[in-house]
Formats: sequence, structure tokens, C-alpha cells
Amino acid sequence: MHPISFTVNGERQELCVPSSMTLLELIRDALHLTGTKEGCSIGECGACTVLLDGTPVTSCLVLAVEADGCELTTIEGEAHGGELSSLQQAFIEAGAVQCGFCTPGMILSARALLSRTDDPGEDEILEAIAGNLCRCTGYEAILEAVRIAARRRRPGEAGDA
Amino acid sequence: MIGRFEYARPKSVEDAVSLLRERGGDAAVYAGGTDLLVEIRNGHRAPALLVDVKGIDELRRLEIGETELRIGAATPLNAVAESRAVRHRLVALADAALSIGTYQIRGRATLAGNVCNASPAADTAPVLLVAGAELIVAGPAGRRSVPVQELFTGVKRTSLSAEDIVVEVRIPAAEGALETAFLKQQRIRGHDLAVVNVAGSVDVDTRRMAVAVGSCAPTPVLLDPVDTRGQSPAEISERLITLAEKATSPISDVRASASYRRAILPVLLRRLCDRLAAEGAVA
Ligand SMILES: Cc1cc2nc3c(=O)[nH]c(=O)nc-3n(C[C@H](O)[C@H](O)[C@H](O)COP(=O)(O)OP(=O)(O)OC[C@H]3O[C@@H](n4cnc5c(N)ncnc54)[C@H](O)[C@@H]3O)c2cc1C
Repeated sequence: MHPISFTVNGERQELCVPSSMTLLELIRDALHLTGTKEGCSIGECGACTVLLDGTPVTSCLVLAVEADGCELTTIEGEAHGGELSSLQQAFIEAGAVQCGFCTPGMILSARALLSRTDDPGEDEILEAIAGNLCRCTGYEAILEAVRIAARRRRPGEAGDA
Repeated sequence: MIGRFEYARPKSVEDAVSLLRERGGDAAVYAGGTDLLVEIRNGHRAPALLVDVKGIDELRRLEIGETELRIGAATPLNAVAESRAVRHRLVALADAALSIGTYQIRGRATLAGNVCNASPAADTAPVLLVAGAELIVAGPAGRRSVPVQELFTGVKRTSLSAEDIVVEVRIPAAEGALETAFLKQQRIRGHDLAVVNVAGSVDVDTRRMAVAVGSCAPTPVLLDPVDTRGQSPAEISERLITLAEKATSPISDVRASASYRRAILPVLLRRLCDRLAAEGAVA
């Protein structure tokens, strides 16, 4: 067992984890943050995407012990005080959520993209979310949601699509 | 839980090597884990100890020197793919790195892990072969240099011992400028392993061309060098196709049949020559 100390969505956590526990298991089974989904468990589908020190990772392919000293962000960290983030709001407006299974990972990949640039090109958006599979929407509405959210972040531009 | 293993995160190369040594063949170097954790989950491997090398500062650098490029073994592939200097000096390496997996995978996966995993389809392997790259390897007897050309011994097999750690990948600067290109045939436009991948380099001073082919033999294969002086791109590609047919032995697997691989390989080699010709590197 390894003692680890880290923050989850800004809140400090200290606990002991076994070596072979994945970060995904830590999030869902120990922290009970079930917004993060388990899909393929081999890094292909992106449903388990979370941010580790701001970098999107598939939490099924990261060990829990590696969270030690890190800032972990899950989908539960997107909304603040009961208010949805502008990215979440944009997903609703664009109709980018159908069954919802890919949505938490999709939003966190998009969040990481928007923290790198607030004016992503079409190729950049595609590349940023290529690791998040969606079987419902056909992706168009998701691309639109990311464009809307990016526009709203840019100073001096009205966000309305 | 995936498997049963212990985990250690040493702070120095020397500590990491001693851990591997103490555990004999029972321990595995853990870098990005994007191959290793999948293999453990699938039950193909069951190491008793994972030695995480990401806590070793020396392994996390990316240095662009006058005479060589040095890429630390724990540097994630996104850093390689996004480096302007890498793209400027060795565009094929930037392209190959960018073609691997997804943004999330590349945030963890490493260049050293890609070659140490020794998959015949490893996308950076053909590039490192044509660029004359070498690995700086630390073992119980100290450090040594291993040319990437001497690394691959079979499917998922390398000439490294269980006590060795790759510290960095070093890519020498060519005498003249080096024009390079990487092409990957995959089943879908999104992320996928290569059905066939090829890389080429031309030293613009000597006009010597090196080409390597992946996914067509138990290991990535470096073809005999070709002197391109006085040759048209069409003549060069015919020469490469003959060399490649002799040096490869494609098989059928989940991604493609052997006959498809045999058919697409010449196509990729012609495109590779055209690409290098467009850069002014040949003829
Ligand atoms: C969804 C997905 C998509 C992928 N797509 C591609 C693709 O398109 N192309 C491709 O080529 N690969 C692909 N891969 C495979 C993998 O991501 C790459 O091979 C990656 O570069 C491996 O690096 P790593 O750091 O994760 O290695 P690890 O998994 O940590 O290690 C791999 C092997 O190398 C050894 N090793 C690692 N570092 C060292 C070191 N410093 N010294 C000695 N031994 C070491 C390990 O012990 C292990 O045997 C994909 C994987 C996934 C999960």
C-alpha cells in the first residue's frame, strides 16, 4: 500500500492505495466520483478521461499511486456552485449530448484544448477529441459545442452561434 | 485492480538499475504504461515489480544541440510531436510521433517505450532507423550506446537485458541537412496501428537515401542504402521496391492480409520518393 496525497477538483485528499489499483478505480470506487466512465479499459475509447495536472489522460491506463502530489480534475469539477461551466452549457445548446456516456471524457478533452488555446482550428479540435469515441452524435454537434465555448472565451466576441 | 505487482518510483537511473538487478527478470521498466498496462491487463505479462522511470529528472529532457537531438526516455510523445525544433530538424519523427494513438495516449507514451516495446508496427522505429539514432542505455556495468539498428531481435524482443534502462534516444545531425518523410497506412482516419509504415531520409550533401519499413516483418526493417545521384524518383522507387520485397515477409493479421500488405508497400514507397522529391531531396 502507498500513502498518497493529492487534490481532487481542488479538495485535498489523503489515502492509501494498492500498487495495482488504477486511477479510474480510485476515482470511481474509492472517491465515489462516478461521473468518470469505464468503457474499454485499454485506452482506446476515452470515456475515462480525466485531467492530471491539467493534462488529459485515460485513467484506466494510469496507476492510482501516480496521483500522488498531483492535481486531479474530474467532470465533477466542471460545474461551480451548482452552475454549469460554459463548456457544459455549450454542449447542451449544441445538442452534443445523447446517451451521455462519452460526455464527461469529451468535455475534459475539450477543457484541456481550451486551456491550450482559445482559438482552436478545426484540425486542432478534431485531434484533441480523436481519443474520445461517441457512438450517438456523429460528432458534428460536439464540434459545434467546442466552437461555441471557444468563441465565448475569446475577449470581445459574442458567443452566440 | 490490474494484475498484482509492486510499484517503485526511484529518483535516479542508478537506483532504478539496482532495483531491476535485485529482481532479476521479475521487474519491468514502466514509462507511459500504454503498452505495459494493456499487456498486464490482458494477462500477457505478469511482472512482480513496476519500476516507474518518470520520477527521474534526467530522463525528462528534450535537448536540441548543434550536433545531436537528445530525447529523454520519460519525455511524452506529445512533447516530441509539438516541438518546433524536432519538426524543423526531423519532420518524419514529429509526424510519426503525432500519428501514434490519441492526445491522451501521447501525453503518457514515450519514444523510448515505443521502440523498447519492439512491436513490428512501432511508428517511430522506421524513422529512428533512417536517422541513424542510438539509445543511451544504463545497465549494471555502466552506460553504453546501442544503435537502434541493433535493438530489434524479434516480435516484442530486443537486445537489451532485463537490467537495462534506456536513458535517452540520441539522433545525430547528418553531414548535410537531412530531408525526411514518414508515411503510415491505416484502416481508419482516426487512431489505429499501421498496416504498413515507411520512413525515408536523404542526406542532401551525399544524396544517400535510407528507407525503413514497418509492419511487414517480425521487426522494423532498414533497407540497404540507395545512392540517388543521377536517378529519377521513379528509378529510385523501383530500386526500393525490389530491396523491400527481398527484406520483408508480410503476414496476415487482424489489420490486413499479407497480400494487401504486399500490394500497399510499393505504393507507399513510391509516395515516399515523391514526397522527398517534392522537398528537392532527390533528383
Ligand atoms: C489506444 C492506444 C493506441 C496506440 N496507438 C499506437 C500507434 O498508433 N502506433 C504505435 O506505434 N503505438 C501505438 N500504441 C502503443 C504505445 O502507446 C506506444 O508503443 C508507446 O510509445 C509506448 O510507450 P510507453 O512509454 O507507454 O511504454 P510502456 O508501456 O511504459 O513500456 C513499453 C515496453 O518498453 C519497456 N520500456 C519502456 N521504457 C523503457 C526504458 N526507458 N528502458 C527500457 N525499457 C523500457 C517496458 O518495460 C515495456 O516492455 C497505442 C497504444 C494504445 C493504448
